[in-house]
Amino acid sequence: MLALLAALAVACFLLVTGLSHAYEQQRESLGVRWFSRGVTDLNASRYDAAVTDFRAALLYSRENYVYQLDLAEALIGMKHLGEASAYLLNLWDRQPEDGLVNLELARIAAQQAKNDQAIRYYHDAVNAVWPRDQEFRRRTARVELIELLLRLDQTVDAQSELIALEANAGDNPELQIQIGDFFARAGDFDHALAAYTAALKSDKRNEAALAGAGDAAFELQRYFLAQHYLQAATALNPKDAQTAERLKTTELVLQMDPYRRQISAAERNRLVMAAFATVGQRLQACTPFASTAAAPTTANLDLSKEWTALKPRITERYLLRDPDLVDSAMNLVFRIERFTSGACGSPSGPDLALLLISKLHEGNS
Amino acid sequence: MATPSEASSQITSLNEIPPPAGWMHSRELWRAFFREDRFFLVLSVFIGVFSGLAVVCFRYAIDWSRLYLLGTGVVLTPARLLLAPSLAGLVIAVLVIHFFPRARGSGVNQTKAALYIYNGYIPFRTAVGKFITAALAIGSGHSLGPEDPSLQIGACLASALGRRMRLSRERMRLIAPVGAAAGLAAAFNAPISAVLFVIEEVIGRWTAGILGSVVLSAVSAVVIMRWFLGSEPLFRIPAVELRRPSELIAYAILGVVGGLASVVFAGGIATLRPRCKALPRWTQYFQPAIAGLLIGIIAMLGAPQVMGAGYEYIDQAMHGQFTWEFLAILAGLKILATLLSFVSGTPGGMFAPTLFIGAMLGAAVGGAEHYLLPHLTISPGTYALVGMGVLFAGFLRVPMTSVFMVLEVSGNYSIIVPVIIANTFAYVISRGLQPLAIFDLLTRQDGLDLPSMEEQREEDILHVEDAMQPVQGLALDASLSLDQALRTLDRSEIEHLLVRMRPDAWGVVTKEQLQQAAAAGNASANVASLLSEQTVPYLHPDLPLEVALRYVDRWPLIPVVSRANLGQLEGVISQADVLRRYREFGEG
Repeated sequence: MLALLAALAVACFLLVTGLSHAYEQQRESLGVRWFSRGVTDLNASRYDAAVTDFRAALLYSRENYVYQLDLAEALIGMKHLGEASAYLLNLWDRQPEDGLVNLELARIAAQQAKNDQAIRYYHDAVNAVWPRDQEFRRRTARVELIELLLRLDQTVDAQSELIALEANAGDNPELQIQIGDFFARAGDFDHALAAYTAALKSDKRNEAALAGAGDAAFELQRYFLAQHYLQAATALNPKDAQTAERLKTTELVLQMDPYRRQISAAERNRLVMAAFATVGQRLQACTPFASTAAAPTTANLDLSKEWTALKPRITERYLLRDPDLVDSAMNLVFRIERFTSGACGSPSGPDLALLLISKLHEGNS
Repeated sequence: MATPSEASSQITSLNEIPPPAGWMHSRELWRAFFREDRFFLVLSVFIGVFSGLAVVCFRYAIDWSRLYLLGTGVVLTPARLLLAPSLAGLVIAVLVIHFFPRARGSGVNQTKAALYIYNGYIPFRTAVGKFITAALAIGSGHSLGPEDPSLQIGACLASALGRRMRLSRERMRLIAPVGAAAGLAAAFNAPISAVLFVIEEVIGRWTAGILGSVVLSAVSAVVIMRWFLGSEPLFRIPAVELRRPSELIAYAILGVVGGLASVVFAGGIATLRPRCKALPRWTQYFQPAIAGLLIGIIAMLGAPQVMGAGYEYIDQAMHGQFTWEFLAILAGLKILATLLSFVSGTPGGMFAPTLFIGAMLGAAVGGAEHYLLPHLTISPGTYALVGMGVLFAGFLRVPMTSVFMVLEVSGNYSIIVPVIIANTFAYVISRGLQPLAIFDLLTRQDGLDLPSMEEQREEDILHVEDAMQPVQGLALDASLSLDQALRTLDRSEIEHLLVRMRPDAWGVVTKEQLQQAAAAGNASANVASLLSEQTVPYLHPDLPLEVALRYVDRWPLIPVVSRANLGQLEGVISQADVLRRYREFGEG
């Protein structure tokens, strides 16, 4: 009897297996049909329709990895981050090494301000397996990671990622420029200048690279080099007001610096007198009586007194007679610029140039 | 229980062709091995296999009827929404009225009826009817679930197999719950919950004999189901977390809300089902169709989620796809839709709707609490999971299954404290406001009087200590003389005395025995001379009083001794004491 029962069980099992094949085939074809519609809608950015299609596809193949991934993409498109995240986490459990899943999870975490999670997923995405264009996709993930790190002011981590990115950048000028921009944002202008220069090797007339190199050189106080790059950038795009303004400041720095080499004593004295007069006006504009914002301070009054006391001696005759007077005058000029930039806001024009010159000669003074 | 000789005679009848003589020894071994209890265990595995296969086919049938009746997409056309459930309702009504009258009603109760009334008999036709009508109903969008029909299909198959195998009446009675556990386990993909449910709600007691069979059948059914349908849970389980103990208050609130919702749901069935049944017979042809039409209208008005079992929407609720307001509306509409389907007599179960309502309600309460108390780290998924257990505890009134069901489905034991708290609140509220549990209610509406498992669980049990009387002169030492013993008896109206023969052995003497021995001139002899070697059995105070019934008709007095010290007499008990206590208990 038991043997008969076993035989019956086997027969029923085989029958249900046949039924199951037919059932699975039908479901698979339905799943594929809805998935194709979903892909079309997703490519056309019709996220709502795509979500409906992918949901229908998943009715027939609930654990299908690709369907779930595309549904998650469509949900992200609809800004349904919570549900998208649930699908992605499910996929992550199945394939933690999947680059796209890690990248999407990182993006969602970043949008939800879960920064530690986002950084972890970005790292995983950078080191993940990508089925196609592995280098490009890893680079994209790393770029997004750097963006996040810079936004979070984690500049040291960002710099280490940037160095890794730079090593794999190759001859791609656009990427080099992007790397330069990132280095600049991280405050690493040496590397930024190197990246822009590398970009210029591939494309000498790249306006963004020239402007970036000019800016980086400017920040590095290498004003001659900055002038060179900024002039080239402005020549290529005269409408770029920011670069033009930066060039103007650079030229002012170069023109107004009395300590620069290969100028005559008379020229130096003239520059000192001009600088002294400029800071006088700046100080006057920044006095408590002239400024509505600043309250009277002892420092302000002291500097005014000092400037007033020294003014009669800042003539060509005195400067020629007493070379130390140049240093005394410029020392006061620098102190006034630093003080006023703190008390009365960022300077512009000649005052900005003088402030930059003060920083340039900070060590000397 | 069948004796070994009875069992072997049945096995002989199964193997009537005599084997060759050389096989005699192995045949004896075979017989010894396949006593009926062991054979029953093997049969349980087959029951599980057949039930699993049947449930797989049932799932296919539901899916196919859904595909052909409602369409392949998730967005359904209005024509299908209205026509599919109502036309299917008409067909179902004809089938149920003319061909499968036992297909309507609760599978749980029919399994209980098989156990307690029909000696395990459930017609096979019921399984066929349930299979066809429930697949049509659920596939067409009636708000019912596949679990209860699966349970009944499993029970029917088991009953048919048991009859074929000519099992003893004792085994036949138990076979339906074994099949029920297999069917439920395969439908739920949760063997532990299925076993617990059958023990808690159908059988009502834990015995080693039946537990093994129930577990074996449930496990084999789940193995078969997973072979064909995969081992994925019914829904994706979200990350479950309980960060602060203060969140337990929020779960307690969920328990209260769930308890009230259970009362509304059960109250609706209590009120509407008898009224629908009382309507003229011809209306029964249209009741499922009208219910289907109304459900279609609900779906067309913006809540297609209420159609069918709705597991995919539980999944979405768990992952925060709906606003808490919409979740609350869905919970209310699902109660309405399920009431419509169920009271109209459409075959199908209430497990899946209960889970749906619980999940929606849980996620809604979680969402509302998060809205009001944003500092709580509430995840709607956790609340939905707990909510499912809450409705199970409050509506189906199976507290133990409700806890384990959530644990088994979620696979996460960190959720146990919120589940226990919320379920307890729901159960207590539901029990307070709706004294009759849903399965008992359905039983009574169907005109049966099956034992209520809930009442059995909570029944007061009388113990020996409740009936025993103090020793006070009823016991004496065997070394006393007959004269001294008679003096003791003369001062009272006692007819019997317990006599301590040894520190832990007692005998009984009557007044008449003492008097006769004294009259014969043996007054100086001791009481021991009157006692036979046979000692009186003793009882302990904590034993159920029914144990005393086995002895009190043979012995006029039974000693009640301490478990810690068998020589210490705690009291005595007689037949009169037992009957008096039962009479007092019966009078309330």
